[in-house]
Amino acid sequence: MRCIMLEKLSENIFDKVSIDFLRNQVLKNAYGNNDTVIAALDPRILLLWYLFFGLVPWFMDNVILLLGMFLLVAVTARLAKIAPLVLFLFCLGVFTQTGYLLLVSLFFGGNGETVVSLLIMTLKVAVVSLASVTVFSGLDPDRLANGLEWFGCPERFSFSISFGYRMLPILMEEFQNILLSYRLRGNAPARDTLAGKVKWLVYQVKVIMSAFYPLMLNTAKRSRTTVEALELKGYRYASRNMAVKRIRLASLRLKKADIWFVGLSAVWTAVCLGLSQWVGSGVLQI
Amino acid sequence: MSAKKSNGMNQSQKLMVFVLTMSLYGLATLITELIPKFQVGIVEFSVEYFLFIPLSLAMLFDPLSAALGASTGELVFSEIMLGQFGGLGELEKFLTVAIGVYIAGCLVKDPKNRTQVGAAAILGVILQLFMGMTVDIVKVQTAVAEFEAVPGLPESVFFTEGFAFLNDVLFSGIFFCMLPTMYLVPRLYGKIEPLLGIKPRQAQDQISGKPVLSVKAAVLSLIGFGAAVGAEYLAESGMQIIDWEASWAESSGALAVGIIVAAAAAAIVIFWMKRNAQLRNAG
Repeated sequence: MRCIMLEKLSENIFDKVSIDFLRNQVLKNAYGNNDTVIAALDPRILLLWYLFFGLVPWFMDNVILLLGMFLLVAVTARLAKIAPLVLFLFCLGVFTQTGYLLLVSLFFGGNGETVVSLLIMTLKVAVVSLASVTVFSGLDPDRLANGLEWFGCPERFSFSISFGYRMLPILMEEFQNILLSYRLRGNAPARDTLAGKVKWLVYQVKVIMSAFYPLMLNTAKRSRTTVEALELKGYRYASRNMAVKRIRLASLRLKKADIWFVGLSAVWTAVCLGLSQWVGSGVLQI
Repeated sequence: MSAKKSNGMNQSQKLMVFVLTMSLYGLATLITELIPKFQVGIVEFSVEYFLFIPLSLAMLFDPLSAALGASTGELVFSEIMLGQFGGLGELEKFLTVAIGVYIAGCLVKDPKNRTQVGAAAILGVILQLFMGMTVDIVKVQTAVAEFEAVPGLPESVFFTEGFAFLNDVLFSGIFFCMLPTMYLVPRLYGKIEPLLGIKPRQAQDQISGKPVLSVKAAVLSLIGFGAAVGAEYLAESGMQIIDWEASWAESSGALAVGIIVAAAAAAIVIFWMKRNAQLRNAG
């Protein structure tokens, strides 16, 4: 499902194809939405919340309960101020995927029963994806890394996130420079006819791939410098030391808003569960 | 030197390989988002991924560091940085990419032998895509109760997934993984290693008792993958049993759910307190 979403996104991005656009997107996501209700919550609480809403829907077959969960995660996604474009593309992705599956299954002799099963599956996928969009797009990456590290995720992962923040813009610029120098020296085929367009595209992809050869050598030098600088500061020792970890994670604190968030989600889910039991076990159970 | 590890690399050199693969593959997955896709009927011509980068590095350096670096890079750079992280669903890609790259890297003994490099590269890609396909099929089976009983669904799932698998292997697998790897590995061999202060990989480094271990590790990782898929499937049938009990005796089913929820909550609270104490007592 997400592949399709990415595909649509990438088609959209291609309209403004440039590495600058990608770089801006990365920076915007990194520093963009730190003032929402969701971003202010404790990342540990959000991760636990996600663990529930990312796993439990797969095992539920009750329409009322799933609808209730869907409403809840829709509200949280709204609170996290997810970009409308991302949300729209996400909906499109969910429905085109199941729509495609439905068409093929009708071809193989499906009927109304198939439609109902697929609708329930769509609902499950929607709940799970909205929950993940809320948590992982709502939080800024540094806080997400802190939360994961608190739960015992290897330190190398949060190192990678911080490293990515700082190095990605530089790497992109370097890649763009190499790409431009290839283009200056090369002669791109004409792109008037259809065959020409295909040739042009193949040429561009080839250039992108061969640009990785010098980039590999440059990055090798750079990563040696990075690691040597890290070693000088005792990185590998510090990453395993609990005292260092305590200092790094000292910013994580439970607040009243976190308790409210968990409490409200739990009450809402319980109400939906009660409602689904009350409406009649069996009538809507499929 | 005592710090030297099995295949002539110490820990900080392994970290260098990790950082190198992570940055390069992360950047590559970002770039592939810019390249458009073509659909002719149901055949898709897309640049699925530039797996040739981690594949080449895994063949030249330590396969494990390169494999972990590749999957971390993909996760961090193109998913988290762009705000498209999918949570638990990404775990599948993380594991399949890591296993595929690791096994391909272990298979190559002589990086200058183009046939060997190409065969290992395509095998790694096929493994990765095959595991991805299996997980996708199992996911639908888990999400739809009584999967086999729904008319037309099993055939269509197997058909669409199998077709996508063949499509990816034949197009992206050959053009974006096998051919570039065959071209790059012999070219980079002996040039990129000195930049990291590492001796080029020799055929005898691999033969000295190492390949047996790596084959064993490969088999173990495959078994681990099978266990993961099986666990997902079992979880589903286990839930079916609870459902069935619930319809048979309403109260006992609700009680069982209550007990599970309470146990999970208690486990989380205990873990929370323990972790806090652990951090407080440190240093």
